[in-house]
Amino acid sequence: MKIRVGLSIAILMAFLISVPFFATDYWITLLILVLIFTVYASGWNLFSGLTGYTNFGLAWFIGVSGYVSSLLIADYNWLWLLAWPIGALFTGLVSIGVGYILLRIKGVYFAISMVALTEGTRELFGTEYLTPLTHGGKGVPFVAGIRLPTLYWSILLLAFITLILCYKIFSSKFGLRLIAIREDEQAAETLGIHTTKDKIIAFTLSAFFVGLAGSIHFTYQNYIDPTFAFNIQLTLTPIVMALFGGVGTVFGPVIGATLFTFIHEILWAELTLLYMAIFGAILMGLILFFPQGLLGWMKEKGILPRSRKL
Amino acid sequence: MTNFIEILIRGLMLGSVYALVGMGLTLVWGVVGIVNIAHGEFVMLGAYFAFWAFSLLHLNPLLSVALSIPVFFYGGMLIHKRITERLIKEQELSALILTFGMSILIWNLAQFFWTNTYRSVSYLTGNFPFMGIVLARSKTVSFALAVGITAVLFLFLKYSKLGKGIRATSQNSEVALVCGINTVKMRAITFGMGIALGGAAGAIVSLQWVIFPQMGGSYISKAFAIVVLGGLGNIQGALAGGLIIGVLESLVTQYLSAKMAQIIPSLTILIILLLRPTGLFKK
Repeated sequence: MKIRVGLSIAILMAFLISVPFFATDYWITLLILVLIFTVYASGWNLFSGLTGYTNFGLAWFIGVSGYVSSLLIADYNWLWLLAWPIGALFTGLVSIGVGYILLRIKGVYFAISMVALTEGTRELFGTEYLTPLTHGGKGVPFVAGIRLPTLYWSILLLAFITLILCYKIFSSKFGLRLIAIREDEQAAETLGIHTTKDKIIAFTLSAFFVGLAGSIHFTYQNYIDPTFAFNIQLTLTPIVMALFGGVGTVFGPVIGATLFTFIHEILWAELTLLYMAIFGAILMGLILFFPQGLLGWMKEKGILPRSRKL
Repeated sequence: MTNFIEILIRGLMLGSVYALVGMGLTLVWGVVGIVNIAHGEFVMLGAYFAFWAFSLLHLNPLLSVALSIPVFFYGGMLIHKRITERLIKEQELSALILTFGMSILIWNLAQFFWTNTYRSVSYLTGNFPFMGIVLARSKTVSFALAVGITAVLFLFLKYSKLGKGIRATSQNSEVALVCGINTVKMRAITFGMGIALGGAAGAIVSLQWVIFPQMGGSYISKAFAIVVLGGLGNIQGALAGGLIIGVLESLVTQYLSAKMAQIIPSLTILIILLLRPTGLFKK
């Protein structure tokens, strides 16, 4: 069993690595988006799916890291390979502070405070006071000089690492402690779990990986501006993906990201003007009729084993 | 000095409308337990309601403000009975994500049908002098309307039987149920009232500012700041919070910049949640 699973993963990876050698640019860019959103959704799931603290500020991670790396590339002529991790590291470090301050706020208030943080940062980046640094509301166009296949392999590697990390965490004692926080934080604390520390670690990990994907995302777009970087859609889309696949499962977000990127592609081409409305309706439908997600549903029905490793 | 007083008065007038939006949100949140992210979209719908009534039916905008209350009340009750009542026993966050979906559904539909054009109701234009300062006519009338609606709301909640039922449901839903109060009905009525407040505020907004499909976003962030300032479910607190946000916005716009004024709601939310999560006022 174990060998078979390992073998199928190896074959899948070999296939994904070889894609740039035979596929057209269109398919490569589509796969890049799938992988970027896989990291976003898995990163969101890593923190929110396990701890139950709904993070409505994913766009903040994406935007901060995207801005740092884009400005390093655009204004200081840094190599993308150096700018990306610096952006992500910066986001991770700031997130330790943010997490330390905001993670004492619980439930809905935490969600709102993260939205407020994102909106506030977006407005701040657009003001005249920060224009010398951020170029203000008109945004930063830049060229990173990276070829499409290289970009693809980078994000493929990142997605692979993120998923392995999620798998390890979900089936570890650390993951179990985070689930205990989700189920009953006070009880978890009584049992001797250092809840604040564990929450901050998960929050920071999520920030780092989502931030790294965010840096790659904006390098791929060759452009960044405040509205674009701190867009609520960047928070919303990964949440929908994770919800659809199954919150708190390892592979749910991957399924959600793959499916919704293709749905996006079709809807965007056919129904551009109503795209967000359909998205909103899907979100409402998921909460009302399908709250456990695809993998959660399959586990409930006994199609898949009830394992935390899935 | 006159200038400063003028800015202050302008802020209070602005704040009275924000307070309506905030009171609607805090009422639904406190009594029904649903965090309605789509609340700002009902402000937008209220504004368009007044706009279309004015431009197509040539209805007096003041009349549309009055009319918007029953229309949005029943609309809100319907939405609650069909959709949000199912989520009462679920986690608060389910409702949060659901109303988030509702919010983008509504604004995108509005955008689709009414396009992104900026529109306005040109009804009461011009200024008039008042005790040495100059006031805009539309804003003064809006202020009077907002104060009137607020007064009616307070009297209703304080003295009417229904209002007492709503307050009882808010304080302890189970005990209220035992005392013979139909809490399901109370929740539906409260949800309707909250939406009606948002709709009426929107109709008032259309008198003084341009309206567009995505305007709800700025109102929802202000409404959240107001709820957080006043304390959850605290109507009087929301009124005070609305006035505070209005005055702050007016002052910052004047002395710093309009862009900086847009940071106020987010900053207020973060500061208050960290320093005084129960709001500024004791309940």
